[in-house]
This record gives sequence, C-alpha cells and structure tokens, in this order.
Amino acid sequence: MIKFGARTDTGRVRENNEDCYGAVPEIGLFVLSDGMGGMASGEIASRLAVETILAHCREAQANPSLPLVGERIEGISDASNRLASAIRLANQVIFQAAQKNPLQQGMGATVVAIRFTDQRLSVAHAGDSRAYRLRAGALQQLTEDHSFIAESVRRGFMTQAEAGASKLQNVLLRALGVDSELEAEVAEDVVMEGDTFLLCSDGLTHELSDSQISAVLQHAHDPRKAAGSLVDMANRAGGGDNITVVVVREVAKPSGALAWAGRLIGRS
Amino acid sequence: MRKLVLKFGDTVLQEVPAGPKEVSIGRSPNNGLVIDNPAVSHYHARVFHEDGRMMIEDSGSMNGTFVNGQRVKIVTLATGDSIAIGKHTILVQEVLDQVSPSQEAEPKPAAPKINETVMLDTKERRAFLEKVAAVGEASQVAPERLKVATLVVHKGKTDRNEYALTDKLTVIGKSAMATVKLKGWFAPKAAAQINRREDHSYYIGAADRVPSVNGEPIARPVKLSSRDIIAVAGVELEFLYRD
Repeated sequence: MIKFGARTDTGRVRENNEDCYGAVPEIGLFVLSDGMGGMASGEIASRLAVETILAHCREAQANPSLPLVGERIEGISDASNRLASAIRLANQVIFQAAQKNPLQQGMGATVVAIRFTDQRLSVAHAGDSRAYRLRAGALQQLTEDHSFIAESVRRGFMTQAEAGASKLQNVLLRALGVDSELEAEVAEDVVMEGDTFLLCSDGLTHELSDSQISAVLQHAHDPRKAAGSLVDMANRAGGGDNITVVVVREVAKPSGALAWAGRLIGRS
Repeated sequence: MRKLVLKFGDTVLQEVPAGPKEVSIGRSPNNGLVIDNPAVSHYHARVFHEDGRMMIEDSGSMNGTFVNGQRVKIVTLATGDSIAIGKHTILVQEVLDQVSPSQEAEPKPAAPKINETVMLDTKERRAFLEKVAAVGEASQVAPERLKVATLVVHKGKTDRNEYALTDKLTVIGKSAMATVKLKGWFAPKAAAQINRREDHSYYIGAADRVPSVNGEPIARPVKLSSRDIIAVAGVELEFLYRD
C-alpha cells in the first residue's frame, strides 16, 4: 500500500516558485519538475511537464491501447514504456509552446517520475532533479544527474576535485523543452515493504546532505510530516532555490477491519 | 557616451564602449563582447542604437537575455541597467562613471542568481555527446554491448541453469516478476536485483537479502565484471559475458 506526502516551497531567495509536482496515487504515479527560464516561463514549463505526464498516463490507464509516443523500449515493462512515452510527449508540448512565444523561447524543465506497478518501480528522469530510495536504513540515489559536471566526472573527463571547484555548476545536458526530441533515462527496481522513496528538486540537495535527508526519512513515519520537515530544514539551511519534495512509502497492508480503517485515514 | 561593463560576480572582466556601432555579445570570438561560458550562446544578443535610443535584442539564445531581472526579446537600455547573460552581468554605465560604492552595495534584487540552472548551449552539448560517443567506441564498453550478459547457476535450486540478462531489471527470487526463479519454501519473493544501466554496465543490488560478490557482501549496488560470483539466498551464480 502506498502512502505519500509532498511539499513545494519558493525557498528564501527566489521570487517565484518554478517547481511543480503532481500525483495520481490510484495508479501509483508521482512526478516532479523544476522549470528553467526567466519571467514566468520556468513555471509554465514545469507545470506543462507535470500536467502532460499525468494526463497521458491517466489516459493510458483508461485506454491501454493508447499508442506510445516514440519507439517502444525493449527490456522494460509496459508501465516503464508508458512513462518514457509521457516524457517524450511532455518534451514536445514544452518545445512547441516555447516556439510559439518568443518570451518563452528556450524555456525548459527537468523531470523525475516514478510509477509503482505490483512490486516493480519504474523511474524515468531528465535533468538534475532526483529520486532516492531509503531501504533498511541506507539511502540510495536512484538517478544520476544529467548535468555537465556529473556526466564529465562519470566519463572520466574531470576529477571530483575539479568538479567541486568548477564554475559550471547547474549546467544541464538533458532537459524537457530544449530540443524537439528527448530520451529520458529509464530504470526499474524491485519494491520492498518498508521502502521509502523521495523525489526532490536540486533546491533540497543543495542545502541538505544525504545523511540529513536519510535521518528525516527514517524518523518521520508519516510521509507528509517527512516532506514538511525536509522543506523546513532546507529553508533553515539557506533556502537558496525552490524546494520540492515528494515522499512515498510502501507500507504493509493491514488485514481485516484495520485495513478498512486505514483506507479511510489515508484519504484525508 | 555609454559603455558596457562585463562582470562575473564581483570581478570586472571587460569594458567596451557602446558607441554608434553595434556591439554583438556571445561566446564566439567574433563578437564585440565575448563571454566564454557554455551557458552563453555563440551569438547571444546585440546592443545597438536606433532613433537615438540604445537597445538590446536577444539573438535567439538558448538561456535568454535578462534586463533588470526580466527576460526580454528587445528593449531599450538606460544608464544603470543590469543585463544578465548566462551567469555574467553587463552593466550599462556612462563613460565617465566609476563603479560607485552605492551601486556595488545594492545589487538589483530581481537579477537571476548566480546558481540558476541553465542548459548547456547546443553546440557545446553536441560536441560533448560526440566526445562521449567517441570515448565509448574506444573503450571496453563497446565490445560488451555485442556480448550477452549471462548468469550461470553453480549452486542452488533454480528453474534453469543459465539466464540471459535481456531486461533492464532482473530479479532473483520466488515472485512472478523474478527471472531467476528460486525454488524452495523459504526463498524470498525478491532476494536481489540486477540493473542494466544506460552505459550497458550491470549492477547488483540488495532486495530482501544482501548478496555477496566474490565473497564480499555488498554495501551498495556493485558493478559486475565477467566471472564475478554472486551468492544470495542459497544460490551461487556466475556473471559472464557470452558472445
């Protein structure tokens, strides 16, 4: 059974919030996006990203024969393919919107989306917004940033030390809306009872360390409390960017009467 | 007579007069004002005069041109205006001005912050991706793409002796989603998982049990090399690349 909590916050420095998140818990879908581009265009881009992905997955749930946008990827499930399809579609929508409005030219957004189907997790992302999993007290980053720095270090073009000193922080290689075509990175994982998942924009990870994030997720059992605590902590640490978190927990299904009561509480 | 003062953070990098001639701004060395940064497009913007007014026009840049915090396509400029391009700032000043202490102490509050997320410029991005592809071809990764990653069972009860890892996610366990199906009453639904990453490397991770690789229990997902021995939930498997 999935329980979740989410919070988005402008932070203490920025004037507006260009992050966006969305969820369709009935189909186990959670999406987060961080927009780029001045004026309101970052807000527009991230909202288009989330809305497009939610709508496409909802439509496919009602109509499983809905064609995929782009090619089917071999070796991953239908749910993972649908997520990849939704991201390709979101990319097209943002790209076309940017073409039409000169003030939105070049607007873009990162995206990280997860989908739960049976005991399988689909994770798709483009950019430097992240997905993490807490399992048995260990925090694991599930996505690798598509940033120039992270990619350079990964490929051996740059050392970690050079990366830390580089002036090119926050420069991305992949994002929605920038090119007419985009391939998200897609991965799958097994879901175990007790697993906790976190989607977050870089506003969180710029302020908090992995061990701080892990501590909050371990001690706050209610995902809504956990989400609130993470945002508050990030703001206390500086809040230099918009902060958005989605916390999802896989909990044991209680049986019998307790199950019924649990479903009522979960809905509030 | 005005000038454009190019700054990165607090450092003044260059000053150019904004005379009657157009000043083009961008990454390319052909520009009048060169900003060497991957977040800046090769021909990013231009400053020119029209009907006695100084104007700035964005030349179709990737990350946009901002004047006093607002993204613009084309707008008039006045002394005191602050232009943001990538992570650099260009101040519009009178030639006789020094940068006065009051200007320094009160930066325009709406200007984009230095750690704004931006896209790497298209030309740079393509060059980087080409570099990655070239290195990929030359390295070990390319030959491994042509081989089939396989698990060979050495010990334990499973439904088969050998498994080709064709999926991005391979589960070792008893559940319906397991590829390597464990037999036995007490076998966990999902003991361990193997993920294929974008670069075609394979990583083994814990699920219900912590697997060992070559006798060492893993603390985090571990990259598999040919001939590694995996032990988990009573089975022993050899990871192998087959032609």
